[in-house]
Amino acid sequence: MLLKLAWLNIWRNKRRTIITATSVFFAVLLAITFRSLTDGIYDNMIHNVVSYSTGYLQIQQTGYWDEQSIDNTFEEDENLYQELLKNPNVENIIPRLQSFALASYTDKTKGVLVLGIDPDKEKGVNNLHEKITEGKFIEAPNENAVVLGEGLASKLKLGINDTLVLLGQGYHASSAAAKYRVKGLVKLGAIDLNNSVVYIPLKQAQYMYGAEDRLSSVSIMPNKTTDLQGLKRSIQETIDPEKYEVMTWKEMLSELDQFIEADKTGHFIIIAVLYIIISFGLFGTLLMMLFERKHELGILIAIGMKKHLLAIILLLESVMISLIGCFAGIIGGILVVKWFTIYPIRLTGEIEQVYEDYGIESILYFSSEEKIFIVQTLIVLVLSILLAFYPGYKVMRLKPVEAINS
Amino acid sequence: MAKTIIDAHNVTKTYNPEKVPVYAVQDVHVHIEEGEFVALVGPSGSGKSTLLNMMGGLDEPTKGSVIIDGVELTELSENKLIDFRLHNIGFVFQAFNLIPVLTAKENVGFVLQLQHMPKKEREKRVLSLLEEVDLEDKIDSKPGELSGGQQQRIAVARALASKPKIILADEPTANLDSKSAANLLNIMAKLNKEENITFLFSTHDQRVIKKARRVITLVDGKVDSDVQQTPT
Repeated sequence: MLLKLAWLNIWRNKRRTIITATSVFFAVLLAITFRSLTDGIYDNMIHNVVSYSTGYLQIQQTGYWDEQSIDNTFEEDENLYQELLKNPNVENIIPRLQSFALASYTDKTKGVLVLGIDPDKEKGVNNLHEKITEGKFIEAPNENAVVLGEGLASKLKLGINDTLVLLGQGYHASSAAAKYRVKGLVKLGAIDLNNSVVYIPLKQAQYMYGAEDRLSSVSIMPNKTTDLQGLKRSIQETIDPEKYEVMTWKEMLSELDQFIEADKTGHFIIIAVLYIIISFGLFGTLLMMLFERKHELGILIAIGMKKHLLAIILLLESVMISLIGCFAGIIGGILVVKWFTIYPIRLTGEIEQVYEDYGIESILYFSSEEKIFIVQTLIVLVLSILLAFYPGYKVMRLKPVEAINS
Repeated sequence: MAKTIIDAHNVTKTYNPEKVPVYAVQDVHVHIEEGEFVALVGPSGSGKSTLLNMMGGLDEPTKGSVIIDGVELTELSENKLIDFRLHNIGFVFQAFNLIPVLTAKENVGFVLQLQHMPKKEREKRVLSLLEEVDLEDKIDSKPGELSGGQQQRIAVARALASKPKIILADEPTANLDSKSAANLLNIMAKLNKEENITFLFSTHDQRVIKKARRVITLVDGKVDSDVQQTPT
């Protein structure tokens, strides 16, 4: 009875209900589109950074992160790979040996980050080979060749087929020295990495550092990136906790995480303002619906309807108007997000250059995570319930005689 | 001897009691017995509606007591008072009595729904009530599709739905033409006679006053006269 009455009541003034529901529709549509865009940009930014560096999760020898020395590496273990790949949420694993060295070409010398990689596995995760701007990508894990970040090559003033000398400290204080042919140059989005990275085939890196079969880390790329803590816990259960530790990218790249969180706060404020504006519209409608029916509410109380039932009817009316707008907004949001997921916005001209200069891909991706849609529905639902409190309060204080005479 | 159904004892209603008190009703004693058909008359501002509202538990007396069928209304909590009204008192107001979004059938059945009457039983009762007020053909009409007289007859049917002992009507014919008013009065008189329902209505309308068997006249919030008469 209450549901039917509430439903019929909201259509007493069709135009007002449609206008109010439309304002909710636009707010939800804008909020979904905005959240989807910003989340998509963040997701892409995170993917870009972690796929070239830490992975979403990383396994390393316990203590490595605090002291990133070649001495804190661990021995490659096929059983570890097997265990990790058994986990249904793990899509790829990327073994790496990472250390530092002095890179030298003619009279130029620079400190560099040396990344020993398995070329095939990197290709599968971050399409590193597609970032080659000059020369070719390394093919085999023991090829005697390196690929440099474009920025580093420019600083050392070397080109393809030149010989790069690397000098550093190897495993257990041995000396690490080798020379390699420069096979290719890559352009990386992350400026720091572009200016300092030398990619070496994994076997060559292990040989140079005297760290045969040793790795500094195994990076993990999951199927879904939404529950990294859950994946971390499930991995921790399958590996030796004394020997290995698992870290998420948020723990390793805390600056990136902090930047995103700070940026998100600004976006939350924009969305909050949007919802405050529609709250006033909805509140106005609810008040009008209350005051223009005061006489009728008085009659209902007189003939035996309890006030709390009337308050529930007002609450249902608020929720119904909001949900009509909200569902329409979600359907609109799904269509908009679907469109931009298939056809992401490609920035062009000067703005494209600005993005690339900052090491950010000049394509704006949209996130279609279910959470975005669910959260917007919940926000609207909670708002409509909160806004109905005041009319409900007024009804609870209504005196039947005064209401009937109004 | 018929039992007293309404006992208003020393009832006073004062507005603004602490500053300049305005007495809407002053020291009124009224006893109405079961099955009476009573008109409460008097000029505008004489306190008819105020007294009627207090007798229906819609308003609280500043002083005195209202006892309906042995229950002292001022002692009931708000929710119990609403429940009491639901089961014991039917109301007919001057106008805009009905819920505009519901049909005649739904309006009459509304009170029964509040009493949680099963659907089948409810529909049967609603139909018989609409037959009683000669509006069985308007069962699915909404108030906006009915004339003022028809709306008031639906309101009477709704007031009767919970089989109340008393029906209080505040100027029920005020907005009706002569024919509709006569029709409504005939229905009310018939129900009073056949079902022994007590009717108490405030009115200015001479047609209504003539139909009453007892006429209580209020002047300046006090009972000026209380006379029995033969209805015409």
